[in-house]
Amino acid sequence: MMVIETAKGPVALPCLKVKVVDIDLVQANNYNPNSVAANNMALLEESILANGFCFAVVTVWDPDLGKYVIVDGFHRYLIFRDWLRAKQLPIIVLDHDISKRMAATVQFNRARGVHQVELMADLVRALVEQGLDDEAIAQQLGMEAEEVFRLKQVTGIAELFKNQIYSRAWEMVEVRDDE
Amino acid sequence: MNSMLKQVYVNKSVLEAAKERVSYIFDEFENIIVSISGGKDSTTLAHLVLTEAHGRGRKVGLFFLDEEVVYDSTVEQIDYLMNLFPDNTVKLWFQIEFNLTNSTSLIEGQLKCWESGKHKIWMRSKKPFSIQHKPWPQDKETVGNPIKGFGFYDALENFQNSRKNTAFLIGLRATESPNRWRTVSKNPGYKNIYWSTRKGNNYAFYPLYDWNFHDIWKYIYDNNLRYSKIYDYMYKKGMGIQEIRVSSLIHEKSFKALVDLPEFEPKTYDRLLKRIKGISIGNIYGKDAKMLRARTLPKNYKSWREYRDFLLATYPDEEKRTIFQKRFGRQLDNNYVARQQCRQLLLNDYENNLPIDNKPDPRDEAIKRWRELL
Repeated sequence: MMVIETAKGPVALPCLKVKVVDIDLVQANNYNPNSVAANNMALLEESILANGFCFAVVTVWDPDLGKYVIVDGFHRYLIFRDWLRAKQLPIIVLDHDISKRMAATVQFNRARGVHQVELMADLVRALVEQGLDDEAIAQQLGMEAEEVFRLKQVTGIAELFKNQIYSRAWEMVEVRDDE
Repeated sequence: MNSMLKQVYVNKSVLEAAKERVSYIFDEFENIIVSISGGKDSTTLAHLVLTEAHGRGRKVGLFFLDEEVVYDSTVEQIDYLMNLFPDNTVKLWFQIEFNLTNSTSLIEGQLKCWESGKHKIWMRSKKPFSIQHKPWPQDKETVGNPIKGFGFYDALENFQNSRKNTAFLIGLRATESPNRWRTVSKNPGYKNIYWSTRKGNNYAFYPLYDWNFHDIWKYIYDNNLRYSKIYDYMYKKGMGIQEIRVSSLIHEKSFKALVDLPEFEPKTYDRLLKRIKGISIGNIYGKDAKMLRARTLPKNYKSWREYRDFLLATYPDEEKRTIFQKRFGRQLDNNYVARQQCRQLLLNDYENNLPIDNKPDPRDEAIKRWRELL
């Protein structure tokens, strides 16, 4: 396999050895603790339709089952199989034993970033400035309309209270029990 | 004849009333210190007091006890407040060593903030003008809980005791902390004033006690004050705006903040990871029903009592385990109490900050009542 030299030695490049197999030959593993919320599944479908299938599903070959078992990419596989009813799937096959396989699944799941709220707000503003309306932004980024609205609110919380009037003051007064 | 306290509305707005209260304190006291936290309430109070000080050409102290492990936004807010009226402000920014509970780690259950020798991993460097050594004599220092050692409240108390004839102003509001308000307002502290308490040679005052949530925000808006960015972040995340807190990031009531921290202040989160253990646990499981909050029983246990016994038996710190054993020994042994005990164990709450409601299991009681009826 081709490698790239790095500061910590050669790194293998399984991403160059993608093959397309019959989707029925692929199946889920029984240990993946990851779950994708329904709204993000819709976003995943949107992404596959808009960008194509950019990353092959990572698998190992299980000789007993006669199937490729998924290490990473279960939800993309699900979209392809059930939502888009595809017959084939691009995969990479690793040569991992069971413990290495489980570790790889968690590594793939967890080693990813989150979106900083402020930068996300900047990004939404930039899309607005490019002429996209709220609905289009919500659909393309997989957000609810309210999330787009909140991100657009650059004025902050204090602004929401400007039209309030001050409450009436009160005091603690000692009164007799029988009053 | 018994008497009782009643809440009576007067014909003024809370703003007018608060200004009068602040003015009264200026008339009565030479020395005035406002406690600030970086939150919205103390921001409002500090601005009211500084405005009065400015009008009178006087100086007031702004006291901030820096817990080190706080949002950068909090630090920026304190900087802002201390520079609003520089001629009228005495900066009392305390950056001294004291112990904080770390509810996210059983192994490193305590953080000594600003610990000497660890300056390389401090969350940030100290302010050049800050107070970095305890300004009270060592032999007079009081410590509430010897197991915990010198903590946040000890620092507050010793600071207050080091002063005389001083009015300490605090942004406590009755609607926000009803229990605390009930305690402080039981008796007048200074003269006939119910919104004050006596503290040795000093007095604490609560001029915003009758303010509501929206009054605070209106004041901030009307006066165009800066406020901690955390409020906007959390609001954007859809969090109820009444729930937002700006305090220390690691204690038993605030660890949930770690879930969102990488999205709000990624740099603060990265520094926190290096500073103390358990942070990533708080980040991943801070809102999980089982791991830290003891909302639902993990599937491999039959009861909360069984889970508690297991947590206790495997608790990694001997000394603290003894504290828990003694405390639990004095409490009822039922599942209602055991669930709360599990929460204390999971959150490393050896200090008993999450007090246990020690009573018969309401479920058992209900069953008993039905049995009697049927």
